[in-house]
Amino acid sequence: MRKWLIVVSLMLVGALFLTACTGGSEEQADGQSENDKEVIEVEMWNLFAAGDAQYMQNIVDKFNESQSEIFVNNVTQENAQYYTKLMTSVSSGKGPDLAISHMHVLPELVSQGLVTELNDLGKDVGIVWEDFNKNILDATIYDGVHYALPIDIHPQIMYINNELVDQAGLLNEDGTIKMDKSPEGYIEFFKTLKERLPEGTLPFASSSAGGNPYWLWWGFYTQLGGENIVSEDSLENPTYNIDLDKAIQAANFLKDLYHDEEIIRLNVSDYYPDFQAGNAATITAGVWATGTWEITEGLDITPMPIPNVFGEKGAWANSHTFVLPYYQDTDPEVQKAAIEFMDFATDNGAMWAQAGHIPAKKAVIESEEFNELPYRNQYAEVANYGNFADRNIYARGIEEILIGHLDTVWSGEVTAEEAFKKIETEVKELIGE
Amino acid sequence: MNKNLWMRDIKVIPFLLPFLVVYIIFTILPVFKGLEMSFYDWSLIRKIEFVGFENYQKMLFDPHFWRSLWNTTLFVILTTPTMVLLALGLALLANLNSKLKTFFRTAFFLPSILSVAVISFLAIFMLQPYTGLLNTGLHSIGIEAEPFWMADKILSWVSIVVVTLWWSVGFNMVLFLAALQEIPESLYEASEIDGATRWEQFRYITIPQLIPIGRVVILLQILASYKVFAQILLITGGGPAGGTRPLIQYIYEVGFTQNNMGYAATMSYALFYILLIISIIQLRSQRLKES
Repeated sequence: MRKWLIVVSLMLVGALFLTACTGGSEEQADGQSENDKEVIEVEMWNLFAAGDAQYMQNIVDKFNESQSEIFVNNVTQENAQYYTKLMTSVSSGKGPDLAISHMHVLPELVSQGLVTELNDLGKDVGIVWEDFNKNILDATIYDGVHYALPIDIHPQIMYINNELVDQAGLLNEDGTIKMDKSPEGYIEFFKTLKERLPEGTLPFASSSAGGNPYWLWWGFYTQLGGENIVSEDSLENPTYNIDLDKAIQAANFLKDLYHDEEIIRLNVSDYYPDFQAGNAATITAGVWATGTWEITEGLDITPMPIPNVFGEKGAWANSHTFVLPYYQDTDPEVQKAAIEFMDFATDNGAMWAQAGHIPAKKAVIESEEFNELPYRNQYAEVANYGNFADRNIYARGIEEILIGHLDTVWSGEVTAEEAFKKIETEVKELIGE
Repeated sequence: MNKNLWMRDIKVIPFLLPFLVVYIIFTILPVFKGLEMSFYDWSLIRKIEFVGFENYQKMLFDPHFWRSLWNTTLFVILTTPTMVLLALGLALLANLNSKLKTFFRTAFFLPSILSVAVISFLAIFMLQPYTGLLNTGLHSIGIEAEPFWMADKILSWVSIVVVTLWWSVGFNMVLFLAALQEIPESLYEASEIDGATRWEQFRYITIPQLIPIGRVVILLQILASYKVFAQILLITGGGPAGGTRPLIQYIYEVGFTQNNMGYAATMSYALFYILLIISIIQLRSQRLKES
């Protein structure tokens, strides 16, 4: 009896191990049996959440139905750990055949040799690089080598609540706003909104910490003619290159919105609901918010680029790109299939634009399908001048340092001068200057 | 050895083995790997070069390391006594022979079963300015202030400590409660015959009987508090301006956004040694008192 117990328990343990180990491969076998054996399977990883993930899946489904030679297996990875997982898995040779990368992480992938050059492969498949918006495409080229196919650009823009802005008498007949395009005019616009709207209605919904005010600062810095935080001559060894006067001017301009004029409330943890509920006349947010506003009943909005108040067109922007992870033993057939999908997906950019993003291919922007979508073409021009983060492997660390110290400027804890002194020390330490 | 005993030992092996294998692969090996990494310049994806004690040297002169270590230590100082005393109080309450006994036990322990994401989201919902439950409550009773519970230097600590208390005090309470129920009834009966008051019973029977478990609770609490990370990351993000950023968050940022795994491993080892020393001191003093 006892012996039986031992044998049975050993078998149980063994069985558990076996099922745990074989779970993955079984799934794959299933996936293959659905298709022909000659079908090329391309595994793609993406980091999208909610709406974005669905629109990308729609494109993948359309591609898989459109032909029978290639099957794209679209895997959504958890957003927070995405890049850690992508870099470690690709470097150990176990990553996907195709992946999504944000523009500001691309330098890390390029520098570490984790992505494949696309010049020759692109030629084989018939990619026409001139089809892409130059501003976006240029950011994916390193020393003349293409390392990514851009899908979109997603800048920060401004949205207005038509009803409230009209109520304050600041809406023109043609739907544009009555704002003088100057620093004073910008402030005046919000002051007027504040005066004329009932108490409790916000002139401007935003946060006083994190990404949103940092993006607006970056936009104003660009408008002033500021270009970089660090130089873009080396991915690994950039030099600190901030235009300090302009950086401080932009920061002080924005700081006044919180303090002197009390136009933006301090410390709001989630600034979307105020605008969504119709309690805020304007908001700045990434273009991906368009999708949220348009499904909100009774919300009548107009999107527009961040007003150009300092002379040069400028706005913070990021971009989603397709990359081909690099492996020593790759199947060129799979690589070409992956690029074919990239081309297909960017051709179908109007489907992707449903998420609010601006597609990267020029023909898509001019297409009927894209222009039939509400709102999108009202800010599509930002694709031409949206300013990406500086290209270097420290981009994520630099962004973290900037946000941390700019937050203390918005809160009124330190002056802009003090903050940028600390930013200089920390950024220099990070880049090893 | 007795054959039966030997057979019994053999039989436990298959039950322990699966855990042991997984434990060695995912816990024991990484510990040694981490030690190795701390002596290297090591990026997220590869070993770059051996740098000896350079990472340790850098750590000693890194103001962010010291600031975040202080933040973590402050959290330990704030939470350990409050957590232990509150747990004791709640355990006594839950041990009373009242009709509400089950209710108390459930209510106090309930938050412990929630995940950190859930409690953090609830905390933000209650603490956010303008629309949060707490500030709206203050407004409705006529207080016009707008305290920034998550963005003010001092209030953010109050918020984090109170939220952590609410979330995790239940576990300590259960430990105390179990110990309370272990105290023999005869001690109380005997003291009653001798004419002891309720206070004297508490002072001379309950408290001394709880000291051993109290030591365990304090040690566990210090270790747990030193590992604080997720609720701070989710509620204040380490802000305002790094004012609440704990050491583990800094380690996480260095490791996974700056891709400097070598230095991150070095700081993890610093934390490990701190915890090791505290545990040794604690266990030593306990053994001294017992002997």
